[in-house]
Amino acid sequence: MKPDLRVLDGNPRRPDAGPGLSAHILRLVKSAPERRAIASGQVDAVIDPATGKAFLLPAAQQALREDGASVRGLLALASDWRWEQDESHRFVSHTGAASGSSGVFDESIIGKTLRDPPFDTMSEADWRAHQRLLEWRAAFRDLELGCTDRAGGMRSVSISGEPVFDAQDRFKGYRGTMRDITLRKQSEALAQKPLRLACDTLDALAVQLCVLDSAGNVILANKPAGAFAAGSRGIGAVVPVGDNYLAACDKARGSERKDGVAIAAGVRQVIAGDSPLFRHEYVCNSPAGRCQYSLTVTAYPGDGAARVVVSRENVTERKRAERIPGNVTGHKVAEGGPIANSLLAALPAKDYQGLLAGFELVTLTYGEVLFEPGEPIRHVYFPNDSLVSLLTTIEGHEALEVGLVGREGMIGISLVLGMDVSSVRALVQGAGTAMRMNAARFRRQFRKSLPLQGELYRYAHAMLVQARQTAACNRFHEVQGRLARWLLMTHDRARSDQFLLTQKFLADMLGVRRAGVTKAAGSLQQRKLISYSRGKIRMLDRQGLEAASCGCYEAVKSHQ
Amino acid sequence: MTIVEMRLYIANNAPNSVRAIANLEAICKEHLKDNFKLEIIDVLEYPLRALADGILVTPSLAKMSPSPAAKIVGNLSDKRSVLHALGIPEPVE
Repeated sequence: MKPDLRVLDGNPRRPDAGPGLSAHILRLVKSAPERRAIASGQVDAVIDPATGKAFLLPAAQQALREDGASVRGLLALASDWRWEQDESHRFVSHTGAASGSSGVFDESIIGKTLRDPPFDTMSEADWRAHQRLLEWRAAFRDLELGCTDRAGGMRSVSISGEPVFDAQDRFKGYRGTMRDITLRKQSEALAQKPLRLACDTLDALAVQLCVLDSAGNVILANKPAGAFAAGSRGIGAVVPVGDNYLAACDKARGSERKDGVAIAAGVRQVIAGDSPLFRHEYVCNSPAGRCQYSLTVTAYPGDGAARVVVSRENVTERKRAERIPGNVTGHKVAEGGPIANSLLAALPAKDYQGLLAGFELVTLTYGEVLFEPGEPIRHVYFPNDSLVSLLTTIEGHEALEVGLVGREGMIGISLVLGMDVSSVRALVQGAGTAMRMNAARFRRQFRKSLPLQGELYRYAHAMLVQARQTAACNRFHEVQGRLARWLLMTHDRARSDQFLLTQKFLADMLGVRRAGVTKAAGSLQQRKLISYSRGKIRMLDRQGLEAASCGCYEAVKSHQ
Repeated sequence: MTIVEMRLYIANNAPNSVRAIANLEAICKEHLKDNFKLEIIDVLEYPLRALADGILVTPSLAKMSPSPAAKIVGNLSDKRSVLHALGIPEPVE
């Protein structure tokens, strides 16, 4: 093969192995200072992250070759045998303790290359990488190969070689050394087992992991992270090993800018040791569409270059699943399974499907006010397992409950009757989920769907009956009967035998003083209908409670 | 005085590597006295250590501490930039 040494920089004393090597180096070395150093001849070797090996640049190779004679003497001491290859990389000689009649190889190796038996186990990729070095006439070190010895046993050898040129700089082949490293490989394999297990486990994780040093450079990434790095941009991309994570975050533009800044700040905090943990959830665009990620940064245990571990999980599917109504309460609405809210459950499938797109599943928290009197109704709510009190406020008095809405009803019924302003305060008194829809969209759906109109008019009427009955009940009935009624109504709407209610809250609901509630609750407890302690009410005997309630409970129920 | 910790990545005794060691030793002797720790790493022996520290070419000098970390590439013949990278104030001449 013709030597492709040629002069690149006008200095005839510094040969270069040609455009292939230059292009490869440009691919490996991206930063300006490093490229400048290479251009000014200040660099001896470049490390290829793909192979994990360093290769000498031609000038350094030549210099080392020149003072190679003494080095070779030393090499002979450190190696088992020496070899020479011709221009086609075929062995032409081998000498040393491990060759000959008692050694690993005999004369049959002459004429063979490293690709031929008795050598083996070099993967296609490793072989190509090695061939590239040979084509560049680069020296190679510690190339580890399996081979079969003369007795047919498996051995491992480590081979180093350097190119040989004649006085006219013509390539003559390679020469080098070989060591028998069978024992070392065997003990390494044993020692590496737990390490390999750990590495394979990291690669098998669904989470993308990378480890950063104190400057924010990525020094390790697991396989999912590596696989993802290809083809992504922005903060959706994983930063490849060797690049700076913080710089990648700082580069985020547009809608990703805010998340990029937040992530960089969080990573810096954990690196500085100001915080042991940082979490961030964000949305970004990936080749697969919009993705939602959950990112966690934790401090790296132990000393050394590594400082933090960044793990990132694609939670798009999980978030989507959480948004599907009914999933939280265990019902698959989309598949036509049971629907938690009875008004919605009563609708024909077609009408229900029409509503579904406009719904969002929201979680209502205890004490949250959905609307105040006089406020525009921006959303309607269909509770799944939450409970909402409708309260009327009169100046100078505590609010009084005039309606109770759970999974049998809807909050924002005034819209159905053509009013878009609330006349009551809607107060969450049982935390849970509800289906929410924007008021304008709801009105459109309401106009379109006759079954929905029918259900909601019927429900509006039931609410009217409930309010009338409650008004009369509050005026004429004993507190104990009213409390029993209220507990029964709550029990119907909540799906639990136990509620959290303070006496103050109950007093407000029923429009009585606290002392009245204490007395009534005490009496129901004595009759073993309920148990009541520290705001926790448990229903013990529902039938008994029905008997103890005023007739208003039955009257309201018969209209629902 | 704080101890300056450095790692110098070299390739065997290739010319620039030899020069970098000599240059760095002179600078340390003059400006840091005994207040430095220097580890010299031959990338032909330990290429993965260099990769782990984000080093792709040799010779390269990495300042590990005190922070900020800094890196300088080449045979370290430009004394000013080495002093700058190591955070050593330049002597007034």
